[in-house]
Amino acid sequence: MLVLVIGDVHIPQRTHSMPAKFKKLLVPGKIQHILCTGNLCTKETFDYLKTLASDVHIVKGDFDDNLNYPEFKVVTVGQFRIGLCHGHQIVPWGDVEALAMVQRQLDVDIMISGHTHRFEAFEHEGRFYINPGSATGAYSPLSSADIHPSFLLMDIQAATVVTYVYQLIDDEVKVERIEYKKPVPAS
Amino acid sequence: SEMNKLWVRMQHQGHSREREKREKERQELKILVGTNLVRLSQLDSINVNTFKKVVLPGILEQIVSCKDAIAQEYLMECIIQVFPDEFHLETLNGFLKACADVQQNVNIKNIIIGLIGRLAQFAERDPTGIPEDVQLFDVFSDKTAEIIQNRSEMPVHSIVALQVALVNLALRCYPTRSDFVDKVLETTADVFSGINLEPLEYNSETCKELLKLLKIPIDSYNNVCKILELPHFSALLDYCDLNSKKLISSYILQNALDNETLIDSEERVDSVLHLVSSLVMDDDSDSQGAKVTEDPEDFLEEQWLMARFIDLLKSEELDNQYIILNMAKKHFVKGGPRRIEFTLTPLVFAAYSLATRYAATRESDDKWDKKCQKIFQFCSQTIMILSKADLSELPLRLYLHGVLVASETKFDKAEGFAYDFISQAFTLYEEEISDSKAQLAAITLIMSTVERARCFGEENHETLRTQCAVASSKLLKKPDQSRAVALCSHLFWSSKPQDGGRRIERC
Repeated sequence: MLVLVIGDVHIPQRTHSMPAKFKKLLVPGKIQHILCTGNLCTKETFDYLKTLASDVHIVKGDFDDNLNYPEFKVVTVGQFRIGLCHGHQIVPWGDVEALAMVQRQLDVDIMISGHTHRFEAFEHEGRFYINPGSATGAYSPLSSADIHPSFLLMDIQAATVVTYVYQLIDDEVKVERIEYKKPVPAS
Repeated sequence: SEMNKLWVRMQHQGHSREREKREKERQELKILVGTNLVRLSQLDSINVNTFKKVVLPGILEQIVSCKDAIAQEYLMECIIQVFPDEFHLETLNGFLKACADVQQNVNIKNIIIGLIGRLAQFAERDPTGIPEDVQLFDVFSDKTAEIIQNRSEMPVHSIVALQVALVNLALRCYPTRSDFVDKVLETTADVFSGINLEPLEYNSETCKELLKLLKIPIDSYNNVCKILELPHFSALLDYCDLNSKKLISSYILQNALDNETLIDSEERVDSVLHLVSSLVMDDDSDSQGAKVTEDPEDFLEEQWLMARFIDLLKSEELDNQYIILNMAKKHFVKGGPRRIEFTLTPLVFAAYSLATRYAATRESDDKWDKKCQKIFQFCSQTIMILSKADLSELPLRLYLHGVLVASETKFDKAEGFAYDFISQAFTLYEEEISDSKAQLAAITLIMSTVERARCFGEENHETLRTQCAVASSKLLKKPDQSRAVALCSHLFWSSKPQDGGRRIERC
């Protein structure tokens, strides 16, 4: 099952469009679910995501124009409980311990957050934490280094999720592969 | 002699047409005359010169003198179809003169457009085929002007249709001659002013032709900057009604976005924003009140388009970029409260991004501090405009963002600006935000910003964290209070634990 993890698009406030090479890759009909970290910021981009897959989950970013998106969301895909949150509410921003608190609160296997515009994927205390970065590489003072446009595609099969990271570096799309297995509960 | 026989036959046929006037016989005669012309064209003995000197003048004389509009129209079209393009190229002047002389109610526009189309295609296929002395564009341009002058009853939309054909000719055959394109636009504008054109109604024939005329150069050049170089484009655009102006303006913006055309100089930014002014601000001359009938969704889409376009107003050169942002702001502040939240916001972000880029040049540019200060002045003024327009959530977030930028770039006097921004944010929080959910969100943002910021000295930081703690304890709902205070504790890491503890106890 393919799940697209994407966010921090910031159209039109900080940039005018998604990178053309990404748009070519994101073809409707191939993806089953979309988990969006927020900060789209307008309905236009939301409608675009809806054309890629019918099941779109989104949480509120600090610049989204739709005030009715929830702050947190938990979605179950296959054997995984997945938590979704933009991340500006989790203080300090990008801090592992703070994220872990939310992960425990929501009781999820995979914790997705955004806001920093920096791609992350790591395991912590047996759980998987991912940040799809910014799909457009939009400007953020939180990442002082160069920000590359990025998004993630999770392929969920039984108790394993293979995460493909797509990054646009020097106008080339580079893909990395990361595997996470749900830990078997101690008997 | 062969030819003479044909002449005579034609002559008789010309006359008998008038006499007969019965539909069926007319049809048959029509076909017969057409066939004669075809036979004529197939005669081996006819070459360009004989055509020019003998054949065509003869035919044209017959056509003009028979004074029958239907015959004239049919025969003119026949001539175009039947004889090769090379012949036509040599005889343009004569042919077009005859066009001017035919009856008033002949649909001359279609004939000329047909001819232009054929010759344009020919020229595209084989540019060397045009004889040296035939200036295609000039000939057509001058002659059609004459024809239009002679035919006072020609409807305006036909005149514009002719201009459309001319502009196509110019772009297809002479792609480097943008002055030709401008000439067509100028001619059209002159025609309009000459007849004191009434304001065009959307969806009228003339309006449709005019929109076609304006879109052709946009599509052909795929470079909005070239449109800016056509002085008569905006003059012509002014004749349109508001809806048409918006349509063309959106078309231009979309074209720029599709082609990623950067507008990288102050002059160009000024020109283009003047050109699309129907989207930038309200049109005072709009008496019909198009604004009243405006669809709110359309308005949103328009403004999102404009905001995306703002991302194209940029230059690689940092100082130039600053000038561009200032010029853009000059235009967009005229947009009024409905528009500025869409248009000024991208400008502020672009300015913040510019500050970060200046900070990266600190080794090579010793004025970088002052430049950052100027940028923060710019942002401060711009965000103030937004908060005066009764917006609160957006300016608050923009101020907080500024604090982060100041913290990252650490320019001289950054702390001052950052403190000012955060005070503004607090003011907005205290005075404007009343919904409890919004309050929690806002104070969380303020606190998380203070947590992240590294630009505040101990004194300022003490004041700020106290302010945060006080604000947290004043939140309406107890669960919110505890959440906020818990967050606030992050701010107290650097201070003595007792202080933090006392604050929390007081809640």
